[in-house]
This record gives sequence, C-alpha cells and structure tokens, in this order.
Amino acid sequence: MARETHTIESENRWSGLGFRRELIPALQQRVPAAIGFFEVAPENWAGMGGRAGRDLRAFTERYPFVCHGLSLSLGGPGPLDDLLLRRTRDFMREHGMSLFTEHLSWCADDGHLYDLLPIPMTEEAVRYTAERIARAQDILGMRIGVENASTYIAPPGAEMTEAEFVRAVVEQADCLLHLDVNNIYVNSQNFGFDPHAYLQQLPLERTCYVHVAGHYVEDDGLLIDTHGSDVIDPVWELLEAAYLSIGHPVLTCLERDFNIPDMQTLTQEITHIVRLQERAFGRLSQVPALRPNSR
Amino acid sequence: MLSFQKFQHEMARHLRDPHHTPRPFGVPAGRMAVYNELLFTNICGFIDSCFPVCRQLLGEGPWRRLCRTFYRDWRSHTPWFREIPGEFVRYLSEHAITQPLPRWLADLARYEWAELVVDVADVALPEHDPLGDLMLAPVLLNPARVDVVSEWPVHRMECKWQKRKAETTFLIVFRDARCDVKFTEINAITAHVIRLLESGLTGQQTFAELAKEMGHPDPDALQGFGQALLISLREQGVLLGTRT
Repeated sequence: MARETHTIESENRWSGLGFRRELIPALQQRVPAAIGFFEVAPENWAGMGGRAGRDLRAFTERYPFVCHGLSLSLGGPGPLDDLLLRRTRDFMREHGMSLFTEHLSWCADDGHLYDLLPIPMTEEAVRYTAERIARAQDILGMRIGVENASTYIAPPGAEMTEAEFVRAVVEQADCLLHLDVNNIYVNSQNFGFDPHAYLQQLPLERTCYVHVAGHYVEDDGLLIDTHGSDVIDPVWELLEAAYLSIGHPVLTCLERDFNIPDMQTLTQEITHIVRLQERAFGRLSQVPALRPNSR
Repeated sequence: MLSFQKFQHEMARHLRDPHHTPRPFGVPAGRMAVYNELLFTNICGFIDSCFPVCRQLLGEGPWRRLCRTFYRDWRSHTPWFREIPGEFVRYLSEHAITQPLPRWLADLARYEWAELVVDVADVALPEHDPLGDLMLAPVLLNPARVDVVSEWPVHRMECKWQKRKAETTFLIVFRDARCDVKFTEINAITAHVIRLLESGLTGQQTFAELAKEMGHPDPDALQGFGQALLISLREQGVLLGTRT
C-alpha cells in the first residue's frame, strides 16, 4: 500500500504528469502542488542507471508513479514479449508502482516498428488480443488497463465499431479501461463520429486511469496525436463528461511529449484537471487513492 | 497466420519500405503517408540524438538514406528505446550495406554510442576500498566504462575534421562519481594494462607481467612508472580503488 504512505505536498492525488528527463531540473526545484503522481514508460526507464536512474529513484521515493507501456504490442503478430513483462513487473516492484497500462494497438511483427498501429477490428482480433492481455496480466500478477488508441487509418474488414472493439477486448480479457479522451477526440474528427456518443459506448465502469493531451492539426484538417500542444476545450469537455459517467475519482495524467512549455504553463493544465475533478466529485484531498488493479 | 494479421504484415512491410512495396489493400494513400512519415521520423529521432557527429560528417542526404535502410533491412528485437542506437551500431558493423560509406563511420558511431551506454549503464558497484594500495591488491575498474579501440581518432572528429587520416586510437569512456560522462585518451600500453588489471591482477603483478612481455631492462623502474599511472587513472575515475 505504498501509495497511501507517501507524504507529499499535493492537494490532490488524482492528477499527474508524464515524467520526462527534460522536466527533472524544474521538478527538482519544486513539484507543483497540483501534481499528485507521475507516469513513466518502462521502455524508457526500466534498468536505467546513472544520473537518470538516480533522479527517478529520488522521485519514486516521494511520489506515487504509474507505469504506462509502449512496446508490448498487445495486438501484434509477433510473440508476446514475456521478458519485457517480467522486467516491467520487477521495475514496478522496485519503485512501488501498482498500476500498469498499455495501448490497444500493435507495434511489432518479427521486429519492432517503434510506434502504435491500429488493430483490424474483427472477432478474431478480439479473441487474439484478449488472450494476450490475459497472459500479460498473469505475468504481471495484476489487472492492467488497456488504452483506446489514436489512429489515422481504419484497417479494412472491420466487423464492429471502434467502441465495440474496445469493449469486447476489455470484457473478454477481464482487464481495465485506460481512457484517453484526446484519442477519442482525434479519432472522432478523423473518422467523423460523435465523440460523446462513442464515450458512452465504452466500458466506463472499468476505467482505472485517464489520459488527457493536446494534438496537432495538419493543413488538410487531419488531427495527429502528438502530445505537443495545449489541451483544447472539446477535449476538456469530454474529460468532464467522462468523470460524470464514471462517477468516482480516477487518476488522470496530462501527457506532454513535444514543445514542452515551462512548468507554470504545464501546471495550469494540471490544475484544470483538478478543477474538473472537484466539480465532478467534490474536494478530493481527503479521499485515499484507490488501488484499482487489485484482483 | 490469422486472417487479420495479413493486414498487419502488409502494413509493416510497407512502413519499412514505402517506396518499393504496395500499401495495404484498402488504405488511402494520404493516410498511409501519415504513418510512413510518423514512424520514420520517430526512428530517426532516436538515431539522430545519439549520433550527431556521424550525421554531420556524413551529410544529411546520405545520413537519411542510411537511416531508411536501417529501418528497412534490420530487425530490431529490443523493446527498450535506448537500445535502438545499439541496434544501429550493430547494423553498421554486421549488415552488408550497399550504400558507399566512409571507412571511419562504424567506428565513430560506436564511439558516440559508448557515451550513451556509459550515461545510462545500470551497474552495481562491488565492495572496494577507494584508498587501497593499487600495487598490492586487485584493482576495481569503473564498471560504467567502455574501452574504445579504433583505427581512427574518433574523439577528434567534428565538422571541421579535415585531416581524415587513420590513426590508431585508444579511449576510455566512463561515468564519473558525479554521473558525468568523461573520456580519456590512453596509449596502447595503458590499454594493455587495463586488460591485465581487469583479469584480476594487482598493480605489481600487472607491471611485472608487462616487463616480462616487453623484455624490459629495468622492471623496477617500470613498477614506479606503473604506480604513477594507476594513481592518475584513479584520480580521473577510471579506477575506483582496490577490491575488498
């Protein structure tokens, strides 16, 4: 129960920020009170020594961290990487982390492509992916969250909508939902559907974790999920709608990977997460953080 | 193969080599181009940040072509992003690359990669005495260290590097106590001393062995020279002390 024993100056344990090496100097000066936790990618941080490893340790000793994977290729044709899972499990133990999430996507065949790609939305793919998620959960010894991904193409031969696909996979795997509201918005604009209707079709009762981020708009109007801009109002509105539907506080992380502004500007966005959480759930400082992954 | 995986294999093949393979059936060209660019930009980001000097000396066009054939022809099995540059180094030295490349490129890449390796190396420090007598006890070398041997002066290569002549070079790239990455140039004899120390010899044993190999006329003088060398290496952080 490491999360409850941390003594931090945070006013809220439910809003967090992606932990990045370039943010460390600013965070060493002061961690804004709006930040209650951090998120790390095991692919960047597990087995990291030297200054970066030392810095990570200094923060995981003071703050709760969430582990968010990138390379597991849950829906990919290559074999499930057992070694990656075992090393992720050890990494989480070393740093007292208890929540792991990954993308509902794929990134490798017989070699890694190093980015997130869309899974064809068929019954067969549901069974295949759900079975791999279940195996991942067995190795990690916990339920994991699976994130709705952003995509720019719809693989041909789909037998269901994206929301149906997410629900089917999550229910068959008996895993949790990692909800990314920016990804919903990006896909809704790129494929022409109502993001709020989509949101309501997801298995929100299984939500363990939420991402919010900014995106980039190309000249032709296509939205690219860059995590390189400020969060826009329609995405904040989706976040608020999600909170009202979920009905209980849920850890929410601001993702910012490019064009990273100063800590003050980032803090304004994290503070907005806090504001929306308090509007939906009341004051959260007294609520102990849930352990959503306990099986 | 499951039927939905046919699409995935087609997509992977096209992403690796968009100019010579058909895009997956049913995917619009414009949207596929978005993925082609995103994935290639992503992989170039990992490689560019590790090899700035290689990129500068090779020039942008040839460098980008090399990144493309790496992505196309080399299967990287590592899920760890910081190991992608290591895959690139292996590609340069192990793959039959058709693009004409300067002879020094693989060595320079290995040197630039060593800085990354040393920076993030996750090493456990064995028990040691930082003030132990380096001549009398087995010596502990800094484990966050890469020894570089090259036919080229890779540490002096930069954009103004005009001479472009081979010159056998021995370097030690290491992480110091403050976690800063440093390098030190050594000579062939010191490189041999490092190898002997690493095999578990004391300073005295190392320089006795060296005197024997060299047929040195005055082995005692060599011991004195050796002690000064080891103290200097310890001051720099290449040696951490004696094993206890």
